[in-house]
Amino acid sequence: MNCTRRNFLIGGSTTLFLSGYFPKISFASMQKKNLIIISLRGGMDGLTAVPVIGDKRLKKLRKKLILEDVLNLNSDFGLHPKLEIFHKLWQTNQAAFVHATNIPYTGRSHFDGQNLMETGAHIPYKEKTGWLGRGLLASNIIGKGLAISLPMPLLLRGVPQNNNFFPSPDFVETNLIDQIYNEFKGEHNELIKSTLDTIRQRPLSMQIATDSDDRKKLALEAAKQLKDQSGPRVAVFDLDGFDTHAAQGGVDGAHADELEEVNKIVTILHENLGQAFDNTLILTLTEFGRTIKQNGGYGTEHGYGSAILMAGGLLKKSQVYTDWPGLKKKELFEGRDLNSTIDSRAVYNSAMSVCFNQDPEFLRKEVFWGDELPDLSQELFKI
Amino acid sequence: MSLKFYRRVAFGLSPNDKPDKDPLNWALNQLDTIPNLLWPGIIPTEKELRKKYGEWVYGDREVLRKKFKNDKHAYRKAKDELRIKTGERYFELNEHAIRHYQTKYSKQPVFERFWFFWGNHFAISEKDFLAEFSTGPYQREIIRPNMVKTFEEMVQSVTTSWCMIHHLDNSESFGPNSKKGMEWRETINENHARELLELHTVSPNAGYTQDDVIQLAYIMTGWAHKWDRKNLETGDIWFDQEMHQKGDKIVLGVKYKNDAKRELAKVIHDLATHPICIKFVSTKLCRHFITDEPTEDMINPVIEAWNKSNGSLIEIHKAVITQAYKHNESTHKFHPPEIWLMQLSRMFDLNIPLSSEKMNYSFSSKPNRRQRQLSWILREIGHSPYREKQPNGWSDFEADWVSPELLLRRFWFSSVELPTLVKSGNRSHDFILACLKNNFEDHENMASLIENFRFGTLDYDLGQKYGVICNLPGVLKA
Repeated sequence: MNCTRRNFLIGGSTTLFLSGYFPKISFASMQKKNLIIISLRGGMDGLTAVPVIGDKRLKKLRKKLILEDVLNLNSDFGLHPKLEIFHKLWQTNQAAFVHATNIPYTGRSHFDGQNLMETGAHIPYKEKTGWLGRGLLASNIIGKGLAISLPMPLLLRGVPQNNNFFPSPDFVETNLIDQIYNEFKGEHNELIKSTLDTIRQRPLSMQIATDSDDRKKLALEAAKQLKDQSGPRVAVFDLDGFDTHAAQGGVDGAHADELEEVNKIVTILHENLGQAFDNTLILTLTEFGRTIKQNGGYGTEHGYGSAILMAGGLLKKSQVYTDWPGLKKKELFEGRDLNSTIDSRAVYNSAMSVCFNQDPEFLRKEVFWGDELPDLSQELFKI
Repeated sequence: MSLKFYRRVAFGLSPNDKPDKDPLNWALNQLDTIPNLLWPGIIPTEKELRKKYGEWVYGDREVLRKKFKNDKHAYRKAKDELRIKTGERYFELNEHAIRHYQTKYSKQPVFERFWFFWGNHFAISEKDFLAEFSTGPYQREIIRPNMVKTFEEMVQSVTTSWCMIHHLDNSESFGPNSKKGMEWRETINENHARELLELHTVSPNAGYTQDDVIQLAYIMTGWAHKWDRKNLETGDIWFDQEMHQKGDKIVLGVKYKNDAKRELAKVIHDLATHPICIKFVSTKLCRHFITDEPTEDMINPVIEAWNKSNGSLIEIHKAVITQAYKHNESTHKFHPPEIWLMQLSRMFDLNIPLSSEKMNYSFSSKPNRRQRQLSWILREIGHSPYREKQPNGWSDFEADWVSPELLLRRFWFSSVELPTLVKSGNRSHDFILACLKNNFEDHENMASLIENFRFGTLDYDLGQKYGVICNLPGVLKA
């Protein structure tokens, strides 16, 4: 591919930076809409997941990492063979990708980057709540967040009464809670008390013992909950291991193993959400992409621009949405990384506006401090 | 004076401990000296364990990967054997036992709480094989001996320790105008410099800029492990002049003249005595021991003690304890899972850690279930102490530890796992009542909640009793 910066916007439109407010509330159906975020910690390599086809420079710089057998998306982009479900959904307009995108963070530190991908802010550790939590709160959607992890992820904090699912290895008798519930008195016990409330209201299916290292089981339960009309509207999965400094490999390397995990989760969600999949958006989130050039260990270093993998019936169509910056040295960020030409927070803000039936302008102000984030809902999602 | 002070600043009272007539003095008297490590089993040195680390990475990277490059199954098998031989699966378990033994039997449990605090302030997060080999001995040999010195001395030791330098990549940081930087076209890695400012000393409150981070990184260039073919990255730390950025540097408005290895001590002096650093760390100490949102009237006396003693940690610790005592009744501090577990272990004399004889390891097979048990429990309740996810360490805020699953894990531990840890002589109801009386003013109310199971001594009955007791607000908090 010989495209250079800004000579195409695949599937995009000229309204990228111009679209204004349009009323959405009238479109709000009674059907619950689900937003699922899968955090990919460690820095997901967008060029491995959604490789650009035929770019000589990429081939030259990544001799040992070039994929054979990429799945075909369009004339410009392919898909990693482990991301089968996305390829399948692509055929029915239920998978799409945003490429050359990232949060506005260029520091290349995991800790700062992961903090910022969750808070949506500019200064690491400054904010104590996550953009998703703030979005829920601003939309007055309380007690509808579900995290598939042991601690409550920062991403969901900021709205009360979230639930999480990460069962212990043995069954826990919740009647113990009934026996002590009334002992939690006074303001300083409010947080624990409301969390105990959340536990007591959990459906039976969540009161199980299982091996929480088995993500498949967790995804299955998440699907069950999300399918329920009165269940959670938001779910957050957490995957790590994307920091492949060594043995990143091509089709079977370390990055492929991680993509396979994403594929598994999305497959299970798709299979088990049934009709609810039509009213669902699944988006990935990462702290940064990786360097174009392979390093001495056939891995890659921390970079900048990455990609967002998307699935679900609320997508407008199958497309690779990008303002492709090109991979020539001068087109790279600091001469080494795929650049980011789309602030990924614009995608997340738009996704929230669709799933929470909320004005994107309003969310942008409430959640992202009025940062300049174009509304992409019309380009990316069904509204 | 309420008994909760013993849990506020220590691990509660064991069946052999009796409350002191003067709890404040009891606590203050524990801070002047470093208690010995009591673990009767092996306590390997940092250097020994670093050698093991080296054997492991060398064996894997330089030998096995090459030997089995075309056979991933044979490679996996050989790698598992190497894990066993080098103790890659074992040493962290032993470190947890050393740490836990200290909280359980130390005559200076208050000191041990501060040991936890500093180890977490200067956290080593999960990276490479640090938790497997190095974080434990770092806590013992770098953090612990400095707890009777000044904060500045602590920062100096930590910053030049192998563990922290490896953790924050300072060995990969080259002055761009240094000999090696120019030859190899390498530049700085800012990680360590940023965390030294942000987490270890002045915090973002100091308003440093990206330029300050870069300049500090320049000062730190050259502090690296000595690399060689056999030890790889596990060589000792030294100052490599050929990596060091030449020229004067300016950090937070202060100029540091080109002075090679001496620059670092000077800048650390300025950072560790900076008023914003003092306020930041004093606040953190009060947060850990008193309340999530400490007030000025708690923090200021600590700052005062800090200034008066030129940063003597003994005096700082004493000021914190004095404030914790003063505000004991009016505040409630939620304890993270590890401290909660260790308090239960001390108060109810649980059968963890495993005896040192049983922790003995032959380096010929995987550690057994009992050897892994304590570490497994810590992981399952969400608080494996040497595996923080990020270098800012474990949180001191209640909100970070209260999720439905994290609370359920505590119910799980206390009702399912704990009964298997009750010693055979301690299964009677009266034993529980005596422990409650020893530690809680409202022990009668607590006892009434488990009255129904009075006559039961099966694991199930114990599970019902401990499941209730361990999760009461007064036990989750002190």
